Amino acid sequence: MAQQGIAGARRGQSRTARKLADLMSRWAFMMPAAVLLLAVLAYPILYTIEISFSRFDLASFSAVEWVGWENYAHVLDDYRFWDSMKVTMVYLVFALPIQIVLGFSIAFLINAEWRGRSVVRALFIIPMVVAPVVAGGIWRMILDPLWGIVNYLIGLFGFGPLDWFGDATLAMAAIVIIDTWRWTPFVVLTATAALLSLPKDVFEAAEIDGANWWSKLWSITLPLLVPIIAATFVVRWLGAVKMFDIALAATYGGPGGATNVINLFIYEEAFRSLRFAESAAMAVIILVATMILTGIFLRGSRFLEERY
Amino acid sequence: MKQSLNLMNSISRRALLVAAAVVATVPAALAQEVEIRVMANEAFANSIETTEVVEFNKHYPNIKVVVDGVPYVELLAKMMLDSTSPTPVYDVMIIDDPWAPQLAEIGVLQDLKSDEIAAFTDPDYDWSDFNAAPLAAGEWKGVQYGVPLRSNMLMMFYNRTLYDKAGVPAPTPALTWDEYLAQAEKLVQDTDGDGKIDSWAVDTYFVREPLTPTIWQTIMNSNGGKLLDADGKPAFNSEVGIAALDTHKKLLDFAPPGALGHGFTESLQAFRQGTVATMFQWGSVYRSSAVDPKSTTLTPEEVGIQVMPAGSVTAGAHRGIWSGAMSAKSQQKEAAWTFLQWLSSKEGETWRANNLGTFPARKSTLASTPAEDSQWLTPIYTALQLAYDVAAKGEMWRIRHPRSDAAQQILADEIGRAMAGRVTSEEALTTAADKIEKILK
Repeated sequence: MAQQGIAGARRGQSRTARKLADLMSRWAFMMPAAVLLLAVLAYPILYTIEISFSRFDLASFSAVEWVGWENYAHVLDDYRFWDSMKVTMVYLVFALPIQIVLGFSIAFLINAEWRGRSVVRALFIIPMVVAPVVAGGIWRMILDPLWGIVNYLIGLFGFGPLDWFGDATLAMAAIVIIDTWRWTPFVVLTATAALLSLPKDVFEAAEIDGANWWSKLWSITLPLLVPIIAATFVVRWLGAVKMFDIALAATYGGPGGATNVINLFIYEEAFRSLRFAESAAMAVIILVATMILTGIFLRGSRFLEERY
Repeated sequence: MKQSLNLMNSISRRALLVAAAVVATVPAALAQEVEIRVMANEAFANSIETTEVVEFNKHYPNIKVVVDGVPYVELLAKMMLDSTSPTPVYDVMIIDDPWAPQLAEIGVLQDLKSDEIAAFTDPDYDWSDFNAAPLAAGEWKGVQYGVPLRSNMLMMFYNRTLYDKAGVPAPTPALTWDEYLAQAEKLVQDTDGDGKIDSWAVDTYFVREPLTPTIWQTIMNSNGGKLLDADGKPAFNSEVGIAALDTHKKLLDFAPPGALGHGFTESLQAFRQGTVATMFQWGSVYRSSAVDPKSTTLTPEEVGIQVMPAGSVTAGAHRGIWSGAMSAKSQQKEAAWTFLQWLSSKEGETWRANNLGTFPARKSTLASTPAEDSQWLTPIYTALQLAYDVAAKGEMWRIRHPRSDAAQQILADEIGRAMAGRVTSEEALTTAADKIEKILK
């Protein structure tokens, strides 16, 4: 009996030791990645937060004195910050739905079996790999009111010429067009992969039941794709909210700040005006706002996944 | 045999004498090979390394110069980041016109007239030969931190062919803004007779960017307006300032479609292609706009250059000087100063002007005759000398303050809003004045 007890205790000890060893080995594998992540991800964020609550001394190029919420107060008092926020919202409200709808529509169209489909898919990647500054420059030429091909084509139908970079609405439209040109292929590729992974038997059963093309799209494809659409939206949202390079290259944020998206404003305040503390405060505000909105989108996405 | 030995001895003696002479002209500390690093705008860093450094090394073979180019937007921040570190990488910084106060205020620039540097200065280096306006770009609070290396002034370019076609007399330095605007209407024309307008009067900076306010400021300065008053507070939101901004906006009526989005590149492109009769632009683009057939359809005979139109007080110009400055913590001060000294010396400046078309800052260079194959520089020298004088008289430069870039960005935002018609000139300048006053405190 006593021997059994000793044996049981030993078994318990060895189980604990095994668990500990297992835990240790897991952490040993995770530690390098965790340390690396902390160094490259957490440290810059924490340092940005520190700068946002400090006075930034250019002589030592570092945060030197705790000033509390002062930088945040300056930022929130600056009409340019709020204007940039509005501009960013307008851009997101137009660009994201257009890219998602267009991306999934194109994917649906090219999903049919036809020769050269893979070549077209490969070509779709090109806009994504073009540097944003180059894309902005090319589109400036394409949309140039005098020499641009777009105005020439519009002119053939008796319209225009349109001043793409001189009119506030058209300048925003230009930004949305360029961004859509760059990022719709990403949505197309994601949607194509999603369409290919849809269960074939459901469609076969629907066909046997006499469902037409529209019924299959509306009642089967779209509901099955909803979680993917939601996830793609979140991924694109996270990318789009950071956009500033296209605006910098194509419109310089103009005319009169009409395309001055928030990240371009932050960039200009930091590198042109050398107001690093205020820029850090803005970056933190955007970080928090993005996290909250992303959280809401993720919950929505999970809800849709569970529903469909 | 004896003859050849004598010859050898004679050659060796001569070689020794020449070597001794070279060594005598090179300071002792530079007899050993040293390396200095230069941080410059990427737009001209490569040109410095492949031409100016090569020529410099013919005189100072022991000083190896490495030039690193940085995009303009990041240049000042990178200079600050490097020069504030305990051991900066860069010995020389080529700084833009408004940056001397910003860098000097944080104590990273070397006083070029200090005793330490004076010990390395060639007795023939003539400080008084520099024009006052370009030299002042490298100065802050009475201390000289930089020497002019790439001098530039905002000037008026005009296309004689388009003026002739429009039947408008070519401009002279006496041309006023009122006269210019009256002529501008005629300079918007159909040059090929197909019934469509294909040539416009003007292109320049209209886009939302920090250099656009320089056009407005030049108009204001030539009418006697100032950016700041004697107490350093904004003085530009005055009647003169508002009228100047209205004039700048008025130029859009005579500019090509889409000009509201035009800045340096677009206006340059339009002028080079012969679609605008005048351009208010940095003078240094003359070579690429009128001389170099690789980049322009125009010739020096077709392209005139002069100061910008006059206001009620004086003609207009605006200073844009890149100065060579040294890091106060440089370990190679003698070599760094030798490099800057040679580039800005009479000899170095003349060589750079004749061979690269770089604009000189020295009175003696501007009064000299350019080399035979650089004769196109002759009218430029005359225009440039006048521009320097006008700029010095009217203080035609950007705000001189440790926070000048922040102020310039605010001006860019507000001038941009006025240009786009989102606010009136008065509203834009009032908002800018409020914000700039807070920043400059």
